[in-house]
Amino acid sequence: MRTKLFVTEALRSIQSNLSTAIAATLTVVIGMFLLGLFIALGTWVLSYTNDVKRQLIVNVYFCTETSCGVGKNEANQRQMEAVRQQLVAMPEVKDVKFISREEALEIMRERSPALVENIVSNPLPASYQVIPHRGEDVSAIAAQLEPPPVGVEKVNYGEKEAGRVLQVAKVVGAIFVVGSAILIVASVLLIANTIRLSIFARRREVEVMKLVGATNWFVRGPFMLEGLMTGLVGSLVAVVLLLIAKEVALPAVIQRTDLTNDEVRALAFPLIALIMIGTSLLVGAIGSGITLRRFLKI
Amino acid sequence: MTDTSLEPAAAPSPVVAEEATPRQPGAPMIVFEDVTKIYEPNIKALDRVSLTIDKGEFVFLVGPSGSGKSTMMRLLLKELEPTSGRIIVGGRELARLKRSKVPMLRRNLGCVFQDFKLLPNRTAYENVAYALKVQGESKRGIRTKVPEVLGLVGLSSKMSHMPDELSGGEQQRVSIARAFVNHPPLLICDEPTGNLDPDTSVGIMQLLYRINRTGTTVLMATHDREMVDKMRRRVIALEEGVVVRDERRGGYG
Repeated sequence: MRTKLFVTEALRSIQSNLSTAIAATLTVVIGMFLLGLFIALGTWVLSYTNDVKRQLIVNVYFCTETSCGVGKNEANQRQMEAVRQQLVAMPEVKDVKFISREEALEIMRERSPALVENIVSNPLPASYQVIPHRGEDVSAIAAQLEPPPVGVEKVNYGEKEAGRVLQVAKVVGAIFVVGSAILIVASVLLIANTIRLSIFARRREVEVMKLVGATNWFVRGPFMLEGLMTGLVGSLVAVVLLLIAKEVALPAVIQRTDLTNDEVRALAFPLIALIMIGTSLLVGAIGSGITLRRFLKI
Repeated sequence: MTDTSLEPAAAPSPVVAEEATPRQPGAPMIVFEDVTKIYEPNIKALDRVSLTIDKGEFVFLVGPSGSGKSTMMRLLLKELEPTSGRIIVGGRELARLKRSKVPMLRRNLGCVFQDFKLLPNRTAYENVAYALKVQGESKRGIRTKVPEVLGLVGLSSKMSHMPDELSGGEQQRVSIARAFVNHPPLLICDEPTGNLDPDTSVGIMQLLYRINRTGTTVLMATHDREMVDKMRRRVIALEEGVVVRDERRGGYG
């Protein structure tokens, strides 16, 4: 009964303040579109840097007959097993993959056939590929193998590249966190302010309502409902715009790049849409509720 | 202030006696007991005002601008709280009334203002209906009561007009209709004819007079000297927050 009254009151208020309602809705559209875009872009970038970080591994090369110098032999099974035990015991290590000398040669043959065409014996060492839980841990893992255990020729994790990759990832992550925080705050303030202004323009109306004996909730109900409707309509339009951007614009951009890695993806679209709608509903209702508080003190 | 003549009804002793039995017939509608209102930091709007208004009375509140008339009105609506003293309306002490009960007070207290205070986006009918809607009146109740009261104020033919399509006098009639639609025991009017020409004012006064005749207590703040002199009703004069005159059948003075 009361809900029905609130709905008709809210609709009436939108109808009679149509230009303000449209302005508020457009603000929501813009704010939420930017928010959605930033979340999609940001999560995609984060996923990309994670993917790059995943490629950071530690290589542990074992001695061959010749590589470790005079008087040292090729690493034997026992030595390799000992190193494996040591690696697996490290909490940072996710997986240890053994690459035999033959496999190494096979890989080399695939990558650069010209190099292996004329060799008589296999110069490549056996190795472990150590995959860390987190890309940042490669240097820690390498440090624990210092000095190299018996039978290990050298430990390598591409120090320079790894450092650069990690630094870029860190910066990108920070930019995303700060940027999205700013954007969320800005769009919330923008929407709340628009609602504030539209209520401020009608504060005399609120005063009259209170003077004829309306309770605070009777005044607040329709206003908050109006805020909810504005938020809902605005965010739905923003979601549709973002969907169009995703379906039409994104493929065109992707075609020009080589970003076709399946591992790298943004946050799922329905989730982004949900965040957008949720945020705007919350801001719409709470924003108008808080703004009204001041005018209800009559 | 030597010519001040306070009637016995306004003296403190009967007020206390009557207050002990607030809900009896003939009990006062409004009691002000030593009411002082100071607007921070130090503007004294009302200074120890004591007066009693009985049920069914028609009382003019006169005095120059800034004498405290509007402050009294706003205190009655519990829009403001007194700095000290007690205000009793219809047997209820306002200071003891919880904030959540203020809407209930206002539903029993019609108010009419100089600037009408109509909702601009609603027709005359809807403006009156709003006062019923806020208290959960049924649709059927609204459909019968609103045309009835609009007929009473003489606006049957203009129910679907917006406020800006009505003349000042007509707008004030709508606001009186809104104030009266609940048949409140008390109607307070803050310079209801202040924005109207003399002829229109007479019409409004006649309307208020008729409402008073139904038993509703009417308290009206006004600057309208002619009207007060013509009506010969009780006049309470305020000056700088002090009651300087209270006469049964007074003139503007």
